[in-house]
Amino acid sequence: MPPRIRNSNCPPQQLLLNYLDAPLPSSLLPVHRPAAVASSSTPSPCRPQQQSAAAPQRCFSTSQPREMTKPQREFRQFLKHAGKQFEKHVGNGPMYLSSVKSMGADDVPFPSNKMFRSEPVLSSRARQIIWEAVMLKGMPLKAVSAQYQVDVRRVAAVVRLMEIEKRMEKENAPMAIPYALAVEKMLPRSNLTGDEQPFEPINDVHVHSFTMQQLFVPVSESREFTRKDAAKAFGDHILPPDHKMRIPELVKMERDILNDVPQAQAEKDFLARTRQSEREFAEKEKYVADKRDARKSKVDTERFEFRIEKINSEAVGKKGRARGAVGWRYGVPFNDRQRGLYKIPTSVG
Amino acid sequence: MRCERRILRYHSLKRGRVRQTWNKYNLFNLFRMRDRKGNFGTFFQQKWHAKAATRAYHGEHIKEKQWERMFSRRLLSAVNMDPAYMAKYDGSEQAAGRGSGRDVKPGRSEKNVARNTGNAEGMTPYMQMTFAPQERRLDISVFRALFASSARQARQFVIHGAVKVNGKKMQHPGYLLNPGDLFQVDPEKVMIATGRKKTSKSESSSTPKTPTPEEDAEPAEETAEAAEQSAEELSPEQLKAQHLDGLKQLHQHARKIIEENKDKLSGGHKKEIRELSKKIKEAMNRARKVGTDVQETGDDMENLASLMSELELTPAERAELRQQQQAEAPAAEAPTNPSTPDYPQLRTRTPVPTAQTKFDMVESQILKRLLEEEKINPWDPSKPYATPWRPRPYMSAFAFIPRYLEVNPKICAAVYLRHPVARPGKTEIPTPFNMHTSQLAFNWYLRRR
Repeated sequence: MPPRIRNSNCPPQQLLLNYLDAPLPSSLLPVHRPAAVASSSTPSPCRPQQQSAAAPQRCFSTSQPREMTKPQREFRQFLKHAGKQFEKHVGNGPMYLSSVKSMGADDVPFPSNKMFRSEPVLSSRARQIIWEAVMLKGMPLKAVSAQYQVDVRRVAAVVRLMEIEKRMEKENAPMAIPYALAVEKMLPRSNLTGDEQPFEPINDVHVHSFTMQQLFVPVSESREFTRKDAAKAFGDHILPPDHKMRIPELVKMERDILNDVPQAQAEKDFLARTRQSEREFAEKEKYVADKRDARKSKVDTERFEFRIEKINSEAVGKKGRARGAVGWRYGVPFNDRQRGLYKIPTSVG
Repeated sequence: MRCERRILRYHSLKRGRVRQTWNKYNLFNLFRMRDRKGNFGTFFQQKWHAKAATRAYHGEHIKEKQWERMFSRRLLSAVNMDPAYMAKYDGSEQAAGRGSGRDVKPGRSEKNVARNTGNAEGMTPYMQMTFAPQERRLDISVFRALFASSARQARQFVIHGAVKVNGKKMQHPGYLLNPGDLFQVDPEKVMIATGRKKTSKSESSSTPKTPTPEEDAEPAEETAEAAEQSAEELSPEQLKAQHLDGLKQLHQHARKIIEENKDKLSGGHKKEIRELSKKIKEAMNRARKVGTDVQETGDDMENLASLMSELELTPAERAELRQQQQAEAPAAEAPTNPSTPDYPQLRTRTPVPTAQTKFDMVESQILKRLLEEEKINPWDPSKPYATPWRPRPYMSAFAFIPRYLEVNPKICAAVYLRHPVARPGKTEIPTPFNMHTSQLAFNWYLRRR
């Protein structure tokens, strides 16, 4: 006896025919077969009318479809209205949430925190200007810093990065150029043209925690209590800000100007002093490096250069684990695989 | 050993936690974040809630114990000292009078009043520096430099070996950067992280067929003789340039049509135009590739030109044209031409408008720019992101670079200049919370609860 199909008003042969005639799933079709696609889209003459007119797919669940929760609804609304403008960045400048919340400030990325502002970054043109000043004109870093009001460390970093960029360009290494263009459009930026606000403070002085306490120092009324005295009062090792200035040559220049040295001459002297300080720094570095090398005796064979240095094997500290100690010592367990020990390097040279 | 916390309902709308991501759910959560007004519970409860909210943003992938070890109550700040002020005064003027400086008499000019300029107004927001130690971490710095779309993704980049510190591969996301450290991320990874996702629809429909030798050979027999003749006279480079010019003109023409009948065109028509301009771009790409057969580019030109001429017709006219073409070329012939499955009208020779079209200076400049863009940002289906590269949606709302980093986005490298500091009136720690919340969190970690 053939298997029976319940609730079916068409005979089995008819079902088989329908199956053969039904459109194939797209994955089974060859990619370009316009003829086959055309035939499947037209209704076949042998398909019974009542089949196509039958009730739509039976729903097995009797429960109502889940409604959207309130946050979900609000989220949809946000994407349609207030959040719409953020989907695609248009224009030439930053676009933060604060612009929607009508706070009057366009550079606040987090509406609740007005203390954090998105400050301008150096544009690609500005970076090129700095690189040219240092590498082509040969200006000292401090002078470039003072001229463009950019921190000395940033000037050095810009030059370092630009050098890498130029090297990569020469090597034809892959770079993220469309990304860089897009990011530059999204950020506030400075071209260092000089007619805008100074880029950043260049004479930062770190606030020492010793100087954050309130101190009562009795002094005579006639005494001149200067910054130096104040530093001394906070602690013997506390330096006055005069010694912590990043570009002390600038203070000297200002002092010269107060002492009626012409502006042009003062600036010239400033340039000479910064150049001198840079030279001194380089000489000091060289001296240290030379001294380090002098401790080592070099034996140059054809293949290797052996560098031999004298060390004191006894200087291993109280527990035999001193940082500078050299070599493996017997009797001291080597515990660098132990759990909970900090194994991440602290510096990369 | 598990080093990372699990993600549980990361962008939950119900809890509304703000995270270190560029996600649209995160944008919404940030949008509706409200400052709690007044005191809402016991001091402990307030601290608890502040800690929970801030830790959901600041390094939520870092274990609590690890963060507790990192936390430092020493908050860094800096003040700018104006050289002109330093030169003129030695500080004794601040101790003059009764010990706190002389009063300025009302009405006298303030010109001679000693003032250290260069600092913003307002108090120094020390409490916003609570999570400053985390900003030293390599993964978070990579995120802050806009090289990854979330801190977790940045962490993954580090673990997968895509990040170098001072030229050496660094695989510890918890590496604490030292001032002066240079980190560099693989540009390809950055493009993936910050670019739009590749949708199967947009990419697969426009995938060009790479010509196989057989396909190249076939059209060579039947294509226009004119191209053959000119190929004999001109060098391959010249010929290629010529074809590129033609393609440029076509592109222009398509743009013109769109510009002129912006509101007149129907939806389907617009779609067709868009498809056409996409095909022109593809053809340009193919033509520009080194070693491409001139024949092939010539074919492209013809196809596109015929498509273009069709576009200018009204729907009724187009239907008519189609009928004509069908009558001319029997349907059986279509599948015999496997090299051009995408363009059914290929072989029909409709009048080509390219040569006759005149272009003015502005248009040619626009085209030049377009071609330049095309050159630096090409269409390339082999990339794992949508090409030409575009920034991912909702990126701009999160795009900022804090001052303690100097970033060169072109080479995807950045220098960690110094530790972040608080200055009068501003903080360098990007945190979405107000000072009150940060202060409560700071108090939590002081461990006097």
